[in-house]
Order: sequence, then C-alpha cells, then structure tokens
Amino acid sequence: MKSRFLLIPAYALVVAAPVQATVYMSVEQAQAQMFPGATLTPDFVTLTPEQVKAIEKACDVNVLSPNVKAWRASTGGWFIADQVVGKHEFIPFALALDDKGAVKSVEILEYRETYGDQVRNEAWRAQFTGKTHAAPLKLGTDIQNISGATLSSRHITDGVKRLLTTYDLVLSKQQG
Amino acid sequence: MKHAVRRCAGICLSALAAIVTLAGSAVSRVHAEESQFGYVYTTDLLPQGAKEVEQWATWRHQKVAGYFDQVDGRTEFEYGMTDKLQLAFYANYVWSRAYHNGPFEETTPPEPLSYDRPGPDDHYSAKRFVGFSGEAIYRIWSPYTDPLGVAVYVEPTVGPQFRELETKLILQKNFFDDRLVTAFNFTYAPELRYDWSDDAMTHKRWQEETDVNLNVAASYRFAPNWSAGVELLNEREYASYNFSNEANDGYYVGPVIHYGGKKFFVTATFLEQLPWASSHSDTVPGAIVGRRIYDNDFEKYRVRIKAGWYF
Repeated sequence: MKSRFLLIPAYALVVAAPVQATVYMSVEQAQAQMFPGATLTPDFVTLTPEQVKAIEKACDVNVLSPNVKAWRASTGGWFIADQVVGKHEFIPFALALDDKGAVKSVEILEYRETYGDQVRNEAWRAQFTGKTHAAPLKLGTDIQNISGATLSSRHITDGVKRLLTTYDLVLSKQQG
Repeated sequence: MKHAVRRCAGICLSALAAIVTLAGSAVSRVHAEESQFGYVYTTDLLPQGAKEVEQWATWRHQKVAGYFDQVDGRTEFEYGMTDKLQLAFYANYVWSRAYHNGPFEETTPPEPLSYDRPGPDDHYSAKRFVGFSGEAIYRIWSPYTDPLGVAVYVEPTVGPQFRELETKLILQKNFFDDRLVTAFNFTYAPELRYDWSDDAMTHKRWQEETDVNLNVAASYRFAPNWSAGVELLNEREYASYNFSNEANDGYYVGPVIHYGGKKFFVTATFLEQLPWASSHSDTVPGAIVGRRIYDNDFEKYRVRIKAGWYF
C-alpha cells in the first residue's frame, strides 16, 4: 500500500513534465522587432526602497522586483523586459518606449497559462501605443478588458502602468 | 479497519491516477479554471466554450466508536456557456462501511444511505448510486475588475431516494496581485429524503431537511503552479426549511494544497472536526461525543481529492 501512496508524486512529475511554456520570442528577438536596426545598451537598475515606494504610490501597482532590466536604444527610447503575475506562473513581456517615454509597443514573450492568451492579440496590445505615465491605464476605462482573460489583461495593464511610472520617476532621470 | 482504510485509499488513488494519466494526454489548446479549494467555491469560472472533466473522491472517517468509512465519488463535466455562466452535470455515488459507529454505539449508515436499517450490531457495508446533479454558477462581479467577486450557484439533485436544491452565494476577494485568494460561501440546501418515519419503522415517507453551510477559505500561491491554504467549514442541519428544528452544528478546519497546471489540476484537503458542537432541539440523543457531532452527515475526519483536466 505504501508504494501506491508513493506513486502520487511520481504521477505528478510525469504529468507536470510535458507542461511546456509557449515561448513566442526571446528578449533578443523582441529587441530586434521593437527597435529594428538599433543598438541596445543594457542600463539595468536596482530600485532603492524609496523608489519602490514612490512608484507604488504613484501608480497604485505593486513592484514585484526592484531589479529593472532596461536597455537604451541607439535610436532613442528604452526597451524593458519584465514580468507580471499570471494565474499559475509569471507572464514575461517586453515594453518599448520612444524617446519621450510613450509606449511604442508591447510584446508577450512567453505564455504558460491555461487560458487568457488573447492578450497576445495585436489589436488589444495596440491599445497601449502612445500611452504615457499620465494615462489612466485602467482596465475597462482606457484599456478594454478581454472577457475570459480578465486576470491576464489586468495584470499586463498594471505591468505597463508600473513600467511607465518607473520610466518617469527613475529611468528618465538616468544619465545617458 | 486496515482493510477499509486500504480500500478507501485505493479508490482515491485509482481515481487520482486515472485523472492525472488522462490529463497528461490532453490536447495542448485548452481553457480552464480549476478548483483551488476542496470545499469552498470561488467566482472563477470556465471561459465560454471551455470544457473540463473533474473527478472528486471524499473519504469520511471515524464516528462515535467502532469503525466508519465512507467514500463519496463524483464524476463531473463542466462547460462554459458564456464567460459568466458555467454549467456542470455529474453523477454521485457512495461506498460505506460501518460498525458500532452511531449514537450509543449502534451501527448506523451514513446520510446518503440513511434509508438502510442495519441491526445495531451488524457489520454494515454498501455501495450505491446516489443521483445525478446539475449545477449552474453565474458570476455577477469579477474579483479582477470589481471590488469583490460575487456569484450565485444553483444545483438540483434528483435520485431514487433523494431530492435537493442546493443554492450558494459565493464571494471572493483577492490580495497581493491575486496570489492570495480568499472566498466565502453561504449555502442553503433544502432537501427531501425518502426515509423511515421517525415514529414507526414500518413505512417510509419523504422528509424535509435543510443544510446550511457557512464556509470560508484562503489560499496563497507560494510558488509557480502551487498554492496552499486553509478551509474552515460550519455545517448546520435543520429538520425544516425555515431554520427551525435545528438538529446539528459542526465545524471543520484543515489545510488545502493545490497544483494548477496548464492542462490539469489536483486539489487535496484534509479536515478535522473541531470540538465546538452543541445540542439543539432536534439533535439525536447520543450523537454528540466529546463536543463533536457524529449524526448522519458528520464524522471526525474528511479527506477530499479533486482533480480535473481540460479539453
């Protein structure tokens, strides 16, 4: 009997193993697509506790990590690779900002959730284009919800808002 | 006793093994919303057009004395009619064995089989089909876009000796970027049970009963795919439809662990009854021992395993 109990984790492992993330593009591929022809220079930042607090206060979104993976584009603008909480796992995404800090584009790099991958829909992501930190960026207000993918829609929206605020309060003040 | 435990565990494990094996062969394009708790419902529903099959096994163990084991089985098909309306259809079945388990140590069958009348010293064992159930959950507010998730639930059950209309109000509130999920359920479930008359054991009649549950739970996603938490249940039974003639009042608490994958989920809950029971107007004499209620639908321990896969 004991041996049958031991099968439980074994079954879990067998079944869990084939569950693969759907990787749509790597960070490098996203950089090439979002800043074609540009050279990207890493300018990674570790936020201070004061900066984290200021960002959270300004955008009302929790900062998941103080580490900001940001690159400067030779043509002007920023590329940021980040992630938001999904139903089961994190959702890695990339944000491209123009030289004025407005959204150029948003790309979903990987999607591992059971449902909600409609956030990859180009028309939905296009809603972010041109938004700055001053935009409401609120699901149901200036960003349409995707019915049946509400959690992912909301967290991506919150993630973009958080990064726009991070740009406004931190990245835009970095020395070039 | 050991044989019964093995048999219970065997049934649970077989169901689990079958589910996870099938889950492994599920197709890749799937939609789903899994049960994060064993007993408490949330307002998370399947998206429109999504389908899911769930298998439940609930092991109930130990009453007043002697031995008591019951395994409730449930095989369920769920479908997302719209993003806010989920329908389900399932079959319920039960296996039980009992001996000197009831009030005054008389052999007493469990509630789904309460129409059986074994002798007080009989070794009772039975397996039976209980009935088919239909279930509809409609979400009014989403916890992701509204201040609170709110849903209503209706579940009629029709069986040869049993009729029930279970209704629930489901509330859900999430915290910490939706990694901490809390939920509350209020259940009102009037039922008719074709059972022996209380006054004369010569004939059966349909009898009224109402189950009222106040259940609360919280679970935190502590690692990708994994969450763990606690469930607290308060189950009340009335021999009426209007909250008069209260019979039983039991409290259960215990941990819940959940794995949610892309194609399947598994949830397991262990509950122990707390010594908080009290006597009421219709409490069966001898059913409370050590401040725990052991009437038909109550026992000391419960283990529920739920697993589901999507297609």
